[in-house]
Amino acid sequence: MWARMKSTLRDLPVWQKVVLVIFAGTIFLTVFGPHIGPYSATTASPADRLMPPSAEHWFGTDENGIDIFSRLLAAPRTDVTIAVIATAISVILGAPIGVVVALLESRRTRRSRAAAETAMRLLEVVQAFPVFVFAMVLVAVFGGTTLNIIAAVAFVNTPVFVRLVRSDVLSLIQQPFAEAARAIGNTEMRTGFRHVLPNAAERVVVQISVTVGFAILLTAGLSFVGAGVRPPTPELGGMIASGAKYLIVDQWWPALFPGVALGLIVFSFGVFGEILNKALEPRATRGDGHRPMDEGPTGPVPTEPDIPIQEATVPEPVPDPVPASAFAGEPDGSTLAAGAAEGPAILAVRGLTVGRWDERGAPLLDDIGFSLVEGECLGVVGESGSGKSLLVRSLLQLVPPTLAVRDGEIRYRDTDLLGLDKGQLRKLRSNQIAAILPNAKAQLHPLITVGRTMISAIQAHERISSREARDRSIELLTSVGLSDPARRLEAYPHELSGGMAQRVCVALALMHRPDLLIADEPTAGLDVTIQRQVLDLIETLAGNRGTARLLVTGDLGIAAHYCDRVAVMRAGRIIEINETRAFFANPRHAYSQHLVSCVQP
Amino acid sequence: MRFAFYVGYRLLYLVPQVLLISFITFALVRLLPGDPARLSLGPLAPEEAVEKLREQMFLDRPLFEQYLIWLRNALEGNFGRSWVNGTSVAQDMIQRVPVTLELIFLALAMIFLVLVPLAIVTASRSRNRIVAFLRRITFGYGMLAGALPDFLLGLILIYVFFTKLNWLPGPEGRLGILDFAPPFVTGWILIDTLLAGDMETFWSAVRHLILPVFTLAFVYGAPIFKMLRSQMESALNSDVTVYGEAIGLRPATVFLRAARLAAAPTVVIVGTIVMFLLGGAVLVESVFNMNGVGQYAVQAIITADYAPIQAFVCFAAIFTMLVYLIVDLVHFAMDPRIKVGGTAS
Repeated sequence: MWARMKSTLRDLPVWQKVVLVIFAGTIFLTVFGPHIGPYSATTASPADRLMPPSAEHWFGTDENGIDIFSRLLAAPRTDVTIAVIATAISVILGAPIGVVVALLESRRTRRSRAAAETAMRLLEVVQAFPVFVFAMVLVAVFGGTTLNIIAAVAFVNTPVFVRLVRSDVLSLIQQPFAEAARAIGNTEMRTGFRHVLPNAAERVVVQISVTVGFAILLTAGLSFVGAGVRPPTPELGGMIASGAKYLIVDQWWPALFPGVALGLIVFSFGVFGEILNKALEPRATRGDGHRPMDEGPTGPVPTEPDIPIQEATVPEPVPDPVPASAFAGEPDGSTLAAGAAEGPAILAVRGLTVGRWDERGAPLLDDIGFSLVEGECLGVVGESGSGKSLLVRSLLQLVPPTLAVRDGEIRYRDTDLLGLDKGQLRKLRSNQIAAILPNAKAQLHPLITVGRTMISAIQAHERISSREARDRSIELLTSVGLSDPARRLEAYPHELSGGMAQRVCVALALMHRPDLLIADEPTAGLDVTIQRQVLDLIETLAGNRGTARLLVTGDLGIAAHYCDRVAVMRAGRIIEINETRAFFANPRHAYSQHLVSCVQP
Repeated sequence: MRFAFYVGYRLLYLVPQVLLISFITFALVRLLPGDPARLSLGPLAPEEAVEKLREQMFLDRPLFEQYLIWLRNALEGNFGRSWVNGTSVAQDMIQRVPVTLELIFLALAMIFLVLVPLAIVTASRSRNRIVAFLRRITFGYGMLAGALPDFLLGLILIYVFFTKLNWLPGPEGRLGILDFAPPFVTGWILIDTLLAGDMETFWSAVRHLILPVFTLAFVYGAPIFKMLRSQMESALNSDVTVYGEAIGLRPATVFLRAARLAAAPTVVIVGTIVMFLLGGAVLVESVFNMNGVGQYAVQAIITADYAPIQAFVCFAAIFTMLVYLIVDLVHFAMDPRIKVGGTAS
């Protein structure tokens, strides 16, 4: 924890460090401010009215002749104290209500859900009174004592914490640890308060910082319109208000100094919240040089999370007897060429190297080379994080923005894809090179119907009317075996099952009769029976049409069954390529032998 | 069908919510110290007169009955009289509500016409020189979200553009002293001057509106800008966008669909922002002396004039409820995944 705090602090940009100093200064002034000013912060001195800034009065004097600098040092105590106490009350009131509402909502009974719904709508009513207006009226009605200001500010901020805690608890309560807490006999309430609420604490702490800033603004605003702290108490909003009328006659110092101070204080609380967020959130990415593979190459594959190579923790199937050096550098042209299929290559990759765009760090794909002939199916296998998905994205020229192709050649028929501009690439995609990406439901646009996605995909490459495109879509959906295709066109992705969504993606991939299909884990997240159906479908539709296929999979069984040749990837390299039968009969590379021995005990 | 069902469902909730708002408003005023009858007649009136007025004001009836009477009056548009000015509160509100609505509407328009496109464009990784320039000048703007006091910005703008440069009018209200106010039709000064065909006054009104509208839009647009930009950045990096490119959709299609993905969650905070805009209008109206409903409320609060406070709170709450409703409906129409029974979070 402290280590993380420290490293966060070190990595902060300079301006955030400056803001932190301002934040610390504010806290210091809150405690000591009223005692350190060179003059009295409240004693009027009519003879010295509205003196401009000078050596004697650094920030000038106000309409009562009070030294603004001294008053400014004293003022944060008023605002910050009110804001901090009020926010504390908001949390103490709001958090338990949030937990209870979430617990009611997570129950399945109709009555408790209705209670939760009513509570949320009630909250909406409270929130319907604009925060500032509501606080202003509360103060007006009950009188502008400090206590009432605190109460008003606390009251209007309470719903923020109710909502925050509610939504956090709702998502946390479904997690295994919460279920476990209940399973070992904790009551629902105890689970909610003792086990779930502490886990929501991080976001609450961050929100507290932001809310204190907002509460300071609110307090100052109230005082500015005369419904808050009254003079002579030194307070920022009131100081700005009393100075405002002199602004027009070019006497700027009584209003602008407290104004800038208020802005800085509120800003520093907001930024402090962001810094806290960074320090507390373990998964938040820091802007350092370690942005490995988990950043983009793969989509969310529920069954096989990609693990950064640098810190690969995937347990090897068998303790690896072969030293790493044996893997490195071994694949040379001759090994790889073995088993190359005959005929003209439709895709030829040579020396493909991909790494961080700024050339720092080791490459993530290193000297990849292979070729693919027409009608052939090449399987790419390897463990998570071996670079398979990045290879797919490189072939499609859709490398994540943090990465770049450093070297090599991707030749499709006679054109080098690396030399094409965006427009030329777009014409090739789907038309000639089609893609199926993992987890179809995450790929389809969630807010757009299947039909619109398909029609726009057709019209992106052909000039035909929407009606024709729609008819084509129905045909395509029929060909991938979806029942009731006309109705499916009106469906949104969330209304489809994973298998159906993947069929839609197959239809999208094959609609323009491509020559090359690149399928990345096309069955990730699907049931085993559905997996076969989808793969058979690809095999029938693409294979029989003579489309070359590059099938990336983590499942050697799939590779054995569907592919003509198999390539093994490890740590960003292709370490072996061979014909499927030969590969499984006699894997040459030590790592391949491990892989194969896993599926064939 | 699904939409109609949702509208019905939300309207169903709106009725008790509005009733609750009216009750809270009523209760707030009944909590006030002092006797309304005595307040409205002044301290020198004889006791019998006050007693008579109490009867006329139904103050001798039970509290709930008083609420019903108040509700009936409010529904008939009778919000009582201001005891400071002696004017009808309903009349005052009719004059002033359009001022505030005009400010809020123009600020929102500015946010949607300037900041929203800016957020979407600067989120892209385009190496276009104009985009890069825009990205540079908007850097840090989003961080101001919630940190910049609106009244302070207003004051600074007045100081710079009026006191120092004298390019724009100072805080003298909606029109200059020498301008003739157009006849009241809609209460929106820009519309009324156009209807009256008075172009000179129209341009004067425009010049008077620039600073307050800019203040509101700049301060309250920041959270929208920040949210939309980060949503757009993640939408552009999302699977959906990569897949759209992989299947060769047109770049414009891919970009617009990413924007759509980003817009859905952003719409939700627009409701909150409009609510804050109303609060901000209170302050900005006071700074610029716009004489809208917010400034009216501030004056009423300072003079403890309860009927206008009541009317204003009621207006503010119902306005916000309606905005929330519209926002939820828009969000519902935009995102097919929202279920009818779900709570908006």
